[in-house]
Amino acid sequence: MNDIIEAVNRAAAEAVAKINAATDSAELEALRIAYLGRNGLFPELSKKMGNVPPEQRRETGSAFNTGRNQVQQALNDALDKQKSTGKSGDAIDLTLPGRRRSCGHRHPITQLTDECVEVFGRMGFIAVDGPEIEDIYHNFDALNTPDDHPSRDPKDTFYFPDGRILRSQTSPVQIRVMETHTPPVRIVAPGRVFRRDTPDATHGMNFHQIEGLYIDRNVSMADLKSVLQNFAWEMFGKDVKIRLRPHFFPFTEPSVEYDFSCVVCGGKGCNVCKQSGWIEIAGAGMVDPNVLKNVGIDPEIWSGYAFGLGLERLAMLRYRIPDLRFLYDNDVRFLGQF
Amino acid sequence: MDISRKWLADYVTLDCDDAVLCHKLTMAGIEVEHVEKLSSVPAGVVAAKILERNAHPGSDHLSVCKVTDGTEELQIVCGAPNCDAGCIVPLAKIGTVFHTPEGEFKIKRSKLRGVESFGMMCSEQELGISDNNDGLMILPADTKLGTTIESLYPGDTQIELEITPNRPDCLSLWGVARDVSCQLQCEAKLPEITVPECDIQIPDLVTVEDKELCPRYIGRVIKNVKIGPSPDWLKERLESIGLRSINNVVDVTNFVMMELGHPLHAFDRNALSGNRVVARRAKAGEKITLLDGREIELNESHLVIADGEKPMALAGIMGGEFSGVTESTTEILLESAVFKSSHIRTTSRQLGISTDASYRYERGVDYDMAEVASIRACQLILATAGGELASAAMEVAGVRPEEPVINCRFERIRSLIGTTVSNERIVEILRGLRLRVEDITSESCKVTAPLFRLDLTREADLAEEVARIDGLDKIPAIPVQGKFCHSSTEDVYTPVRKIRDTVIGMGYYECIHYSIVSTASALADKRFEKSDLIELDNPLSPDSAWMRPGLLGEMIATVGRNLARGNRDMRLFELDKAFCKNPEKYPEERYELLMLITGRRHPERYSSEAEADYDFYDIKGEVELLLERLGIRNYRFVIPEDNDGRFAPGMVMELQLEGKSAGRFGELAPEFSAKWRNASAVFFAQIDFAKLLDVSGHTVKAYKELPQYPGTSRDIAFLAPADMESGSVLDFLKRCKVANLESVQLFDIFVDDALKAQGKKSMAYSLSFRNRERTLTDAEVNTAMDKVRSKLAAELKVELR
Repeated sequence: MNDIIEAVNRAAAEAVAKINAATDSAELEALRIAYLGRNGLFPELSKKMGNVPPEQRRETGSAFNTGRNQVQQALNDALDKQKSTGKSGDAIDLTLPGRRRSCGHRHPITQLTDECVEVFGRMGFIAVDGPEIEDIYHNFDALNTPDDHPSRDPKDTFYFPDGRILRSQTSPVQIRVMETHTPPVRIVAPGRVFRRDTPDATHGMNFHQIEGLYIDRNVSMADLKSVLQNFAWEMFGKDVKIRLRPHFFPFTEPSVEYDFSCVVCGGKGCNVCKQSGWIEIAGAGMVDPNVLKNVGIDPEIWSGYAFGLGLERLAMLRYRIPDLRFLYDNDVRFLGQF
Repeated sequence: MDISRKWLADYVTLDCDDAVLCHKLTMAGIEVEHVEKLSSVPAGVVAAKILERNAHPGSDHLSVCKVTDGTEELQIVCGAPNCDAGCIVPLAKIGTVFHTPEGEFKIKRSKLRGVESFGMMCSEQELGISDNNDGLMILPADTKLGTTIESLYPGDTQIELEITPNRPDCLSLWGVARDVSCQLQCEAKLPEITVPECDIQIPDLVTVEDKELCPRYIGRVIKNVKIGPSPDWLKERLESIGLRSINNVVDVTNFVMMELGHPLHAFDRNALSGNRVVARRAKAGEKITLLDGREIELNESHLVIADGEKPMALAGIMGGEFSGVTESTTEILLESAVFKSSHIRTTSRQLGISTDASYRYERGVDYDMAEVASIRACQLILATAGGELASAAMEVAGVRPEEPVINCRFERIRSLIGTTVSNERIVEILRGLRLRVEDITSESCKVTAPLFRLDLTREADLAEEVARIDGLDKIPAIPVQGKFCHSSTEDVYTPVRKIRDTVIGMGYYECIHYSIVSTASALADKRFEKSDLIELDNPLSPDSAWMRPGLLGEMIATVGRNLARGNRDMRLFELDKAFCKNPEKYPEERYELLMLITGRRHPERYSSEAEADYDFYDIKGEVELLLERLGIRNYRFVIPEDNDGRFAPGMVMELQLEGKSAGRFGELAPEFSAKWRNASAVFFAQIDFAKLLDVSGHTVKAYKELPQYPGTSRDIAFLAPADMESGSVLDFLKRCKVANLESVQLFDIFVDDALKAQGKKSMAYSLSFRNRERTLTDAEVNTAMDKVRSKLAAELKVELR
């Protein structure tokens, strides 16, 4: 320990004490000048470093830096404190609202569409679009729908004077893809579909579906199950279980409906799942051999599955939206929540 | 369809509780929609022991008993003769609610002739267990105290099933039992179905004129029947599935339809002119009044069951008003027929009449069951209404449908389902479903489906049967595998999403509107006339009949709705399909982009920052920013020669991409906005998505070298005529080809009263100069500025300041 180190330590202690006792910013500024200013005490002390014997220089330099940093730190702290307690004249009100930029909001239906496309995209499904004004062949005939099937009734499906219709499902995109691509094909088709339903809490003139199709050699229901299982996990978390139930659709055989274990109660039973522990999500199945034949694909060589789901239903489930009409009302206070 | 558990148990042994049964049904494809317990014993009635019986001080026939249910001792006043100490009886404790035909009544603490009573001991009749009301119900001596009586006398369970259209065979108790027996691996059996022999022939009893629509008709006559109420067992069965009892004969036909799935009709034979029936097509102009009172005018497309003169029933759908059994009926003609399913479906839908019978016929009934159902109904009518058979089965039959034979390859079944189900199990399942399985080899078998399984015609159909009975939960989830398929770049989904995301990134809220709109909404987009609109043939209401030609109409409605709710600040967009009939304007179906802003520029800020409303330059800047974000540089904004009516006068510009019109932006016409109170000006941009996509598609983003040398800038200000457009100044400077001029930026426009009076304004620009190879000298820049000044003064005639 030499004289300079002692002087530095003394000066630092003295300065910190004075800084802590200072009551306004003018006083702090005076102390800054007195200790750290161009002609202040610390610069003065640093000039004496040349006189220190070489073997002590490292120690002395280190002590000097420590002392000066202590003073600087004390000054900074004191200034912060004064500003935040509003004691200095230039203080700002930190509690005022932040200056924000407005940010955009994706519609909940689009969020789910995009999310589904991403999830299936990771499993190798390509998103494709299809026409909304569709012909009877693609929407019904090619999908093995019997001529007198109720869904063809003008009570249920919108017709145009030229005999075409507004597609009642996204399934016609399956046909269009299979007509133009040789297997293997693996697609998802999101989009708007139309049913002649009077709008109410769970119905609308149109809603959105996403359709999946995979045609390849040796495709089985086991492949279907894993895709749906993955989908459930990615959308609602790893705890979600799925189950398949036998069902009937004209364009698949075997046909199933698939349920997710209730995402609200975890399967224990609640109002959302009507105490069953399961929530019906949508339909699926192995593409009916007649459908494959209709598009010129040999069902003896190729097999495949198709699945579909309603995005409004998924949105209502995911975001707990009680009434489907909110999704088409476009109130900015609603849209801004998503 | 509703079934009841007790009824189902008549045909199949159910060794499982309701929950397991319902689960099995659902998992086999017979989905349980709703379950309702039909127990008559109210909850809260428990087994209790009478400890003491004492005389009531104020009554001869009442007793005061001390009773325990195992947990507490209660005093009960009882009027029954048999409330002896030591008996175990049902005790309704305080709070128990009884449902009686007169309404609900609740057991309360009460005083009977001055003695307090804390509950009620019950008779069998009071609990709805039997009609015995002679005294208290005496439970077995070993009944555990506290046991609920409900659990000792469980009532029936009503189960509502959703039967898919391919499974008409399950539209009956027997049909469900048949399927359940395969799932539960037990036997399903019908009761013995027989009638006494009768060989009386009535050759002209039944005539079928159209065997295509009516391939089978069996008529039987029963005489001397006595119409009256049904026996209790029959009423109970019908009530257990929610049907009302009418009389013994009608109840039997309903019972047999629900039991076997085959609809029947009982005609009052004496009401039939000629005492006979004819299945024929109606004659044009014939009329029939149905059982429900509706009068229908018939034509040749309708199949009727007529008597010698007139239609008596709409075949397979509903009987006529005077055809049915009444209290005075003594002789009936029992119809058990098969009608063509598509015919019944068409007629039922056309007339808007759906009955339990038509529901079954239109899905397809079992040809072979017609005979069984006829015998079963006769058997039950004889048993419940008396009488005797007065004819043999008088049958007219067309061709019995052929049973399809299906080649079933075991490996194919496994490969479709994805399980390792064994050959033996496959055969076992198919046989369990009552299919005939023959010619079994190690690879395949021949399967014949009975006529009640019209849905089974192909191998894939058999795969479904195996999958659902063996259990879909046995199918493993095999991780995704397979080749990658075609590329996504050929589809529009990806670019739509990219542009949608860009607009969201610019702070817009995405809207989704219905695409079927009203006339006013469709024509609000003034680019279109009525002849451009695509009209629906069968709209929900006459006014929502149009496919939207553009996105503007619905967006205006959304703005109005939001304003009415006090939401005044909006940044909205929609990117979706619009439809046009006129190919000269647009393709039939196209994507369009609409962006709309109104209200305050920064509603989330405060003080002066929050006050400014959007103006024209905001929407212009939004369009510029969008194009920049999409990498589009080759665009122009021009002032269109016509305002198409969507925009306020003089407040519209057109976007041109590669020289072609690609949309417009500006202020919404006052025609729309004038009716909104407290609204700020509304600005929107409509952009043709296809052109945007086309141009951004072949825009390549490429690195441009950053400048190595510093630039310098000079300002220039001048007085110009008030109508001089900034755009023309910029164009002029561009044309001057000033050396090293890198960019020009407007930094001030100023007008005061004095300038205004002179018809002038002050404009100030900052010019940036830079050379990519070297640092510019002051002299070079000054020379360039001199050139700019003199050209501006000489050619644009502005006064330099």
